Amino acid sequence: MPFVILAILAALPLTGLSSYAMHLVILVVMWSVVGMAWNLLGGYCGQVSFGHAAYFGVGAYTAGILYTKMAISPWWGVPLSIPVVALFSFFLGYIVLRLRGPFFALATLASGEVMRVTAENLVDFTGGTLGIMIQERTWVEKTWYYYIILLVATVTFVLVKKLAESKLGYYFVAIREDQDAAESMGINTTLYKTLALCISGCLTGAAGAFYMNYMGYIDPNVVFALHDISIITIMIVMVGGVATYWGPVVGAVIMVLLAEWIRSIPGLGTAHYTFFGILLIIIIIFLPNGIVGDFPKLKRLLKLQKA
Amino acid sequence: MKRLSFAVVFIFVLSIFAAPVLAANTFELVIPLPLTGKQAKFGEMMKRSYEMAAEEVNARGGIKKKKLILAFEDSGAKPETARAIVERLIDVKKQPIIVGEYTSACAKAVAAVAEERKTPYLIVASADDEITQQNYKYVFRQNQVNDHYADALVSFFRDVVKPRTIAILYESSAFGTSGAEAMAKDAAKLGVRVVMKEKYEAGSVDFRPLLSKVKAARPDVVYMVSYVMDASLLMKQIKELRVDAKLFAGGAAGFAIPEFIENAKDAAEYVVSATLWTEQLKYPGAGEYAEKYKARYGAYPSYHGASAYSAIFVVKNALERAKSWTPDAIRDSLKATNLMTAFGPIRFENREGYRNQNFMDTLAIQVQSGRFETIWPLNHASKRYIYPIPTWRQRR
Repeated sequence: MPFVILAILAALPLTGLSSYAMHLVILVVMWSVVGMAWNLLGGYCGQVSFGHAAYFGVGAYTAGILYTKMAISPWWGVPLSIPVVALFSFFLGYIVLRLRGPFFALATLASGEVMRVTAENLVDFTGGTLGIMIQERTWVEKTWYYYIILLVATVTFVLVKKLAESKLGYYFVAIREDQDAAESMGINTTLYKTLALCISGCLTGAAGAFYMNYMGYIDPNVVFALHDISIITIMIVMVGGVATYWGPVVGAVIMVLLAEWIRSIPGLGTAHYTFFGILLIIIIIFLPNGIVGDFPKLKRLLKLQKA
Repeated sequence: MKRLSFAVVFIFVLSIFAAPVLAANTFELVIPLPLTGKQAKFGEMMKRSYEMAAEEVNARGGIKKKKLILAFEDSGAKPETARAIVERLIDVKKQPIIVGEYTSACAKAVAAVAEERKTPYLIVASADDEITQQNYKYVFRQNQVNDHYADALVSFFRDVVKPRTIAILYESSAFGTSGAEAMAKDAAKLGVRVVMKEKYEAGSVDFRPLLSKVKAARPDVVYMVSYVMDASLLMKQIKELRVDAKLFAGGAAGFAIPEFIENAKDAAEYVVSATLWTEQLKYPGAGEYAEKYKARYGAYPSYHGASAYSAIFVVKNALERAKSWTPDAIRDSLKATNLMTAFGPIRFENREGYRNQNFMDTLAIQVQSGRFETIWPLNHASKRYIYPIPTWRQRR
């Protein structure tokens, strides 16, 4: 099944989609990477982070600073963001992972905002609020962007799946279910939580570095955005299905395509936000485990209606 | 249910991929704008102005006998969304010219796409200097660049106020930062000492700590760059704390729109601001446009609206002169634009490292008895400037 989907996705650019459609598809794939990364920490390890923009932004700025300060291709940012973000999330984890539950969530929320303000003020390093602009993006055609982000997504998917099915994954779930019990079973919870955070951060950072290359412009308000990055990431996983392999992917499809579709309905005007909000509320009320998590329930619902 | 879900999917696919069928006698122009979020106020004003201009164009026979139909898409000031809109316009709708957007971040995203896809893009009110410094061939900007926003204000300082010190407060955004940088540079040129240069978070609820510092620094001029709500709150709290200076000055945007006076009330009195346009200008159509806008929406528009209004006429003019309605032909005719509009004379020049940039006179306005009056340069002035201004204590 995953191979069939991968084959279909790999063949997608050959079908001659318009560049608008490709833009949306690229965004879907990019968001599913961020969603899957968040899922590892939030879904499997149970540490709900409201600050994934911090990792996204650090990744994006790694690529951007490589371009402005070292004058090398920002594409190096995609691999190089991994050690940078790993180090960064290790330090951040050292601080925030001492906290649990809502306190952890609030600390991560603050960490995203702290990073935004930091990036705004390190003017010599980050360019401050003027942001970083790439003079010329690598390709006009979207095919290569698509394959690169698809590669990142495939690696992310496989990594998350392998991890979740390994001993490590069981440790994560044990921590999610009851941290004290896990501790008493001899699991080094601090170590494994940090590990989950670092891996999750790195994957998000890689997506951020890709964003820099793809959009060609970043500033602190764009990549360290609380709503547009951190909250959207959580929504993607919540809508798709927490702690499921395909949940973030489905969530990304819905969040990007549905939002775009509702937005472009003529005559709806600015009410599109309201509609989209209502739709999300409905999904969360009736499918609390997300579309993938509650798929049997969804199927039953549809069947019942038919009969 | 199954059939219904199939239909939904079908409509969805259709709405993404199908190009709408255009009637032969119409020309549809879709304009991306921020209609939700923090910048919605500006987006709304621009939308109304575009619509007014389109009505006038159609009343006079349209563009080359084609009726101009406007449609708007909300980008919510998100670069990703702005890009999605423009990709669709260029690729699916085959729209040969792009007009619009407001925030500099979105304009940068749109400009990069327009350049790559060789479609002309007319920027209406995004001020960040960088956008037209990229040597983009297809990107045109009709509003003045941020670096020059305060030109009139600076000459007012030089000739009238003659300050020795200045404090610069600005919001942390691309607009705020580049405005503050420009003012710091101008101050250095005038020999004015910058005693304080501080940024604040846009949307702050309390500026007192910042203003206490200003009070302690005792600058001759307090110069502030911010959007709407911050601008009026700053002035209200300046009044509360009785921070006195020879002059309070704003750098366009939040200080130059009617909401500023509405919200700040008497604290706004005597505040001088840079702006690009006022309804008192003697450009043909400027007064008529402003009165019509006021009659319809109850307040005078700011330069954002005037620029949007004029943009439609610039597009009309370029389309009429274009040899064909292909992106390249339209680009060439835009480049050759030499048009007098309600916003002022429009000509796209390459100089000072900018490309396809319209350079125009900027103005200084002052709030006098609850109204914006143009005070500088003197040939555009509607009223004489009031200087020196009374201290807060004297105003009672």
